[in-house]
Amino acid sequence: MSKFDYTKALVPSTPESREANLTKVFDLLASRLRIVIDPQEHCAKSAIVDRSLLHTAVTILRDTPELGFDLLLDIVGIDYLNYLDHQGPRFAVVYLFKSLKVSGQRFQLKVLVDEEDLVVPTISDLYSIADWAEREVYDQFGVRFEGHPNLKRLLNHFEFVGHPLRKDYPATKRQWLSTNDPMLDQLEARLKHNGFELLDPVPVNTPAVEDVIKGSRQ
Amino acid sequence: MRVIDKEGEKLDLLSVNIGPSHPATHGSLRAICAIDGEKIVAASCEIGYLHRGFEKMVERGTYQQVMPYTDRLNYCSAMLNNIGFCKAVEGMFGIELTERATVIRVIISEMSRFIDHIICVAAALADLGAQTAYFYLFVPREEGMNIWEKLTGARLTNSYARIGGLYRDLYEGFEEDTLRLMTLTEKGLSDVLGLVDRNKIFLDRTQGVAAISQKDAISYGWTGPCLRATGVDRDMRKDEPYYGYETYDFDTVVGSTGDTYDRLMVRIYEVRESISIIRQALKRLKPGPVNVEDPRVSLPQHINAYQDMEALINRFKLVYEGVHVPKGEHYDGIEAANGELGFFIVSDGTGNPWRIKVRPPCLTQFAAFAHLVEGAMIPDAIACLSSINIIAGELDR
Repeated sequence: MSKFDYTKALVPSTPESREANLTKVFDLLASRLRIVIDPQEHCAKSAIVDRSLLHTAVTILRDTPELGFDLLLDIVGIDYLNYLDHQGPRFAVVYLFKSLKVSGQRFQLKVLVDEEDLVVPTISDLYSIADWAEREVYDQFGVRFEGHPNLKRLLNHFEFVGHPLRKDYPATKRQWLSTNDPMLDQLEARLKHNGFELLDPVPVNTPAVEDVIKGSRQ
Repeated sequence: MRVIDKEGEKLDLLSVNIGPSHPATHGSLRAICAIDGEKIVAASCEIGYLHRGFEKMVERGTYQQVMPYTDRLNYCSAMLNNIGFCKAVEGMFGIELTERATVIRVIISEMSRFIDHIICVAAALADLGAQTAYFYLFVPREEGMNIWEKLTGARLTNSYARIGGLYRDLYEGFEEDTLRLMTLTEKGLSDVLGLVDRNKIFLDRTQGVAAISQKDAISYGWTGPCLRATGVDRDMRKDEPYYGYETYDFDTVVGSTGDTYDRLMVRIYEVRESISIIRQALKRLKPGPVNVEDPRVSLPQHINAYQDMEALINRFKLVYEGVHVPKGEHYDGIEAANGELGFFIVSDGTGNPWRIKVRPPCLTQFAAFAHLVEGAMIPDAIACLSSINIIAGELDR
């Protein structure tokens, strides 16, 4: 990955070359994995991959030289509750990739997950940014990322109950949030990651959600 | 916090919060740092202090009503956000803009970009103690604000782009105002460069501070000037040209080491490229309509709406129901001042967006903040924070 010379400018892409690239990427990925283009009209731009194959698919996208998807742009959660003519699982997680090696090459991967079993494997070991991006999807939709090192809320307060971007979360609902997040657990994890040994770790004191709500109301 | 480091030495670390309310954390950001003396050995960040629920709010209105919300994303270059959102929606329709609207959008984009850059540089220098530079740069910025006020009616959170075109045409005298703004900016920048270019304090405070390698920057999803500061020559305006950027003559500015100095210098020199693009674009301005003639997106003329039944119905439906964006999912982005600003839109065919996800360039840069400042000193962390130009409105949405 580090051998590639990024300091050279790329040839500008055109809409046609981007279209051709997309087909090429899809064919290459389809020759190695079972992926489909969603038959539903509204999802037609993403390749759908089963969540058990997600990690493999992303590794192929990142490490195959002619694909070179070295940039993870974003991870998007979608809730299809009561979406017109939608069939299949309620939630989707879309991964947006961009290549810095091939001009104008982008790709979307999509994983569909049911409400009862909202688990997707993490890709935070492949891209550093996936750490925060996955935390955001967890925060807003409640999708759990298996293997994530620190699956905490990112944008909402840590006492917040529920997942606000779900379609059944009322937009006008209010919650009383009061306590600060001490964040010492995160800092200690980071210290350990940097090679320090903790002599007197702060005791882990994570109150139950019910206690937090009760405490906030007093 | 008592710890043993890698060499087996016992240390007594202190945990310190930088932010959330601190003059140097432009907006509300929080970083908790474990410090050994004045050196940061571990850091962890928290965001969300300015989380307004942008993505939930926009689902309740029509596509046109999203426009003022986008201004509040990156409020230093509000009109770039409008343009980014409009481009994504227009991509779903497959609309081609009129020639005049395209050129005006390029001018407005570049103007927003360089004003964003000079705010970043000015604030960064003020954080380093160079208050004079701040005033040198805020003179042209004020001139820019006056232009925006004349153009849109608002100084800071101005919205100018509309789906299918623009809010209105340029006002009379826009060209002269812009030329004066650019002269002022060039003068301000050369004054500032004269102050800091070979200034020992500035160089010591920024060179080699909080550097990031190309590999790490890419893994953190960096785009825009911060990525270019590491030497990666990528710019959406060059690689995936839109609005005819391939026909303008400009260079991408790249750094080499990816430290605080490079990030600031890339911004300073990008201002010159933006000014050169505007000079070329002003020459291409030809009279013509600024909105497409497409009943799906643009409001009919008032004169028609009052005289013609069909036009009245069209106007009524566009205002009350919103533009009916074709069903589907679409991602599109632009090269904003901070990097790639993208909008992922899910439409169910009605006038209200089903889901809009913003891809803010700031988030990727702040996600790497802990990585950047570890090993640096606390004052370096402040210099680093202002060089990555975090705009909390965009970061927290």
